[in-house]
Amino acid sequence: MKKLLFVALALGLMLSSAYAAGPVKIGLMGPMTGSWASEGQEMKQVVELLAEELNAKGGLMGQQVVVVSEDDGGDPRTAALAAQRLATQGIVGVIGTYGSSVTEATQNIYNEAKIIQIANGSTAIRLTEKGLPFFFRTCPRDDEQAKVGVQAIEKMKFKKVAILHDNTTYAKGLADEAKGLLEQNKDVKVVFFEALTPGERDYTAILTKLKAAEPEVVFFTGYYPEAGLLLRQKKEMNWNVPFIGGDATNNPDLVKIAGKDAAAGFFFLSAPLPKDLPSEQAKQFLAAFTKKYGNPPNSIYAVLAGDGFRVLTTAIDGAKSTEAAKVADYLHKDIKDFPGLTGKISFNDKGDRVGEVYRVYEVNKDGEFILMP
Amino acid sequence: MEQFFQQLTNGLAVGSIYALIALGYTMVYGVLKLINFAHGDLFTIGAYLGLTVLTSLALTGHLGPFLGVSVLALMVMGLVALVGALLDRLAYRPLRESPRLSAVVSALGASIFLQNGVMLIYGARFQVYPQDILPKMAINLFGLYVPLIRILVLVASVVMMVALYLFIQKTRIGTAIRAAAIDQGAARLMGIDVNRVILLVFMLGPALGGAAGLMVGLYYGQINFTMGWMYGLKAFTAAILGGIGNIPGAMVGGILLGIIEAMGAAYISIAWKDAIAFMVLILILILRPTGLLGERVAEKV
Repeated sequence: MKKLLFVALALGLMLSSAYAAGPVKIGLMGPMTGSWASEGQEMKQVVELLAEELNAKGGLMGQQVVVVSEDDGGDPRTAALAAQRLATQGIVGVIGTYGSSVTEATQNIYNEAKIIQIANGSTAIRLTEKGLPFFFRTCPRDDEQAKVGVQAIEKMKFKKVAILHDNTTYAKGLADEAKGLLEQNKDVKVVFFEALTPGERDYTAILTKLKAAEPEVVFFTGYYPEAGLLLRQKKEMNWNVPFIGGDATNNPDLVKIAGKDAAAGFFFLSAPLPKDLPSEQAKQFLAAFTKKYGNPPNSIYAVLAGDGFRVLTTAIDGAKSTEAAKVADYLHKDIKDFPGLTGKISFNDKGDRVGEVYRVYEVNKDGEFILMP
Repeated sequence: MEQFFQQLTNGLAVGSIYALIALGYTMVYGVLKLINFAHGDLFTIGAYLGLTVLTSLALTGHLGPFLGVSVLALMVMGLVALVGALLDRLAYRPLRESPRLSAVVSALGASIFLQNGVMLIYGARFQVYPQDILPKMAINLFGLYVPLIRILVLVASVVMMVALYLFIQKTRIGTAIRAAAIDQGAARLMGIDVNRVILLVFMLGPALGGAAGLMVGLYYGQINFTMGWMYGLKAFTAAILGGIGNIPGAMVGGILLGIIEAMGAAYISIAWKDAIAFMVLILILILRPTGLLGERVAEKV
């Protein structure tokens, strides 16, 4: 009897200590496969590097940090399943994901499971208008992006604007927002507003129709694989209208796909690129990343995922707790001007990042992205 | 009117690629009554192998653009044919006597395996063909601006389709393929090695699919490992549109689908392009359940 009691006691002790001493688990949900796979794989590289660095410094609250990653495939249905799998693994928070429609499919799952979600590339406005207490994002919002885009169009004195989107939550939201703003200006006319099907190769039918509308500038709010093909096929058609892209066209693969001469003169909106990040932290991080993986990070969204990881771990450390409510509270109130890799980070009540603004970039003849003054 | 003809050339270019891929679906279906879901991925493999061979052998540098690309196309077709043969041997032949559903499931599995295999070997990022392989010329055709490479794509696919048609109709091996499509049992009794016929079909179809992949790579430049899905779906639709199991049907279906898409995008709505194409498919299937040209294979009694 005594022996049994001892065993039970020992077992109980072991279990409770195991519970307390367990590592801090942080989820990462990104498109590891599918057409945005390059984004997701780089997100994983960034977050794993930062977790390694953190663990080398002693981890979090004396525990090691473990990153649990799941593939959302860049697809809302796959993402919902990935979120359900992650929600059962005892994670404190999750970083991700890239596409807005994909994030939207997982928001309620994480919210119900009381897991903090910090999206890195989902800029659609409505994601933070739902009053979800545990949702944050390190990227800016599309209403700001549309504002900057429309300002650029007005500054360059274009009068007839065509808007092309791809019906995803992000692209359509940005297109609608930009259209609304442009219609307030009496001098500017929106002569074309339609959507293409992403994932195809041949957009000549669309370009032919677009050309017939005779716009002075085309604002494409979709993603970089399609933008690259549009530029290339536009050049083949011998049509020299300028294109402006949203922040999802910001990827060096755009130039590879379009070719340097077709990409030259393309404008896009973006948060500052990895190479233009000014802070000391960013420089150290870029050096460490290059050392580990052989090349600097290509995508700002992967770096924004890294910032999500850094604010989340800082908040856990600051709140001295892994309880979602306390960590979320800390993120809302106590993260002020946090020195992130992409600049200063603070969150408002909705979980949106405040402060950082979009810039306009231009692709030059050598295919480099040049920050416009 | 100018837009109409411009859209017609757009549709022809897309449609000829659909037609080439559709031939692979239709040939396998004709002989085996199996929908080879992995066919779209063989097309992807063609595009990737084309890039590898092109960059490693520098054929166009040694042989000049046109001869170089022709040799490249033959090499890619041969390699993809081998992959197709291997696919038949490993994924389909062991299931020849099983219920048809098992083979379909095996095809789906092979498709996922090939797609992710390509991703693991080449990586998930977009790969890009070199830009300067074929001269960037354009021809002014009655006021229409048509890039030379688009004409080459159209001519090459028509030549391949006609060659295949003649091969199937006029040669002994072609006759054996047709016999196996009508009745495998009877063909076997007539001394035809049906397994070899099937192997041949699994080499011819993928060879054409691989050639289509190479053309997409050369023409559009951008390839990635998921590209086979969309093209596969469209080509499969084209095969059904023309009447699956029927070789001229696949050609007509493919080109028609490309033109319907371009016209739908031009005159109705870009976003509804696919919906329009599929609606035409549904209408044709309601009016002619066997597709436009009907299934050539006689009903088994």
